Amino acid sequence: MSSKAHSSNNIGHAQRTVQQLRIEASIERIKVSKASADLMNYCSEHARNDPLLMGIPASDNPFKDKKPCTIL
Amino acid sequence: MAAEKAEMDALKKECDALRTQIEAARKAVNDSSMSAASGGATAVGRVQLKLRKTLKGHLAKIYAMHWSADSRQMVSASQDGKLLVWDTFTGNKLVAVPLKSAWVMSVAFAPSGNLVASGGLDNICTVYNIKAASPKTLRELDAHTGYLSCCRFLSDTEILTASGDTTCCLWDLETGKQKVIFTNHIGDCMSLALSSDMNTFISGACDSLAKLWDVREGACKQTFSGHTSDINAISFFPSGNAVITGSDDCTCKMYDLRADQEVIGYQDTNLNAGVTSLALSSSGRLIFAGYDDFNCHIWDSLKGEKVGVLSGHDNRVSCTGVPADGMGVCTGSWDSFLKLWN
Repeated sequence: MSSKAHSSNNIGHAQRTVQQLRIEASIERIKVSKASADLMNYCSEHARNDPLLMGIPASDNPFKDKKPCTIL
Repeated sequence: MAAEKAEMDALKKECDALRTQIEAARKAVNDSSMSAASGGATAVGRVQLKLRKTLKGHLAKIYAMHWSADSRQMVSASQDGKLLVWDTFTGNKLVAVPLKSAWVMSVAFAPSGNLVASGGLDNICTVYNIKAASPKTLRELDAHTGYLSCCRFLSDTEILTASGDTTCCLWDLETGKQKVIFTNHIGDCMSLALSSDMNTFISGACDSLAKLWDVREGACKQTFSGHTSDINAISFFPSGNAVITGSDDCTCKMYDLRADQEVIGYQDTNLNAGVTSLALSSSGRLIFAGYDDFNCHIWDSLKGEKVGVLSGHDNRVSCTGVPADGMGVCTGSWDSFLKLWN
């Protein structure tokens, strides 16, 4: 590879890096306090419907092995 | 030559300036911490899940598993050269798919339940129709120049792949061709997760970065740093506004997409094993993270505290998954077993 091609590869790469950083620099950011509050609200709103948090009654548990009942 | 050097210097200077600008913008919104904010949240207490089933059938290390959208079927992949589709309610094996290459690293269930896909050191993502009388190879997606680490279906006609060649790719299953190639990582891509609206996805790589991508445009929109080693696992928080990562640096992190930064980390000085996999409970409050120490540790996602552990495997936990209805956790291990807990 000639040194000219090599250096234009490097320049191409640097140009793409600049383009990418420009995209990432341009976004709007919200405050961490607001982001945290929103995440906490989501968790609390959905907690009662989260089976792993609330526990699952044996009768509703699809993975629990059901043993046959014998009437003595 | 001098002109080119001048141009390189100018570009390097602009890169440095942009990086400084991004860091300053992140710092400017960093007015609090999640740990401080979550002081007021109710504690979850000790989370003690019971082992409900051990699924036996694979003859070698399990590398991947994925739940079907029906929250009942599940597919697992082992380096015994087979995919197994399980009915997790009964523990029965429904379908066995023999693989051309035993070196499988990833498996996925299509949302329809009609297709599964797998791939690994063969660099190929193979898609199978499992509704046929016997599993039929639908497509062999062959263009990556490195191993296939992860794959996820958008539908029966599109699939996303992540590869050790540092790229991710969106494929058209009707033509078998690449539609979009996602390039920006400088290390092997290890994991990907699709947003629920399927417009974006996140990837974790061996360059220790997590990236957010636009599925249609192919552009990288955001980059998250902080990990000090390979990111092996990545998942969206259920609201879609945050991303959880797990790494060989033995920590997990939560990055908020709108604040564009890490908001909390999950680490323990006694935990010196890499994170291989992770999954969230349906509310997002619990993180189930599989580690090289043979356990799946449970974290309170808001408070950053360890709240439980799933112990029972005799080797590394390689994959973890929670079904869409949130009714349990499945762990898969190098010990060749899958376990269901709730």
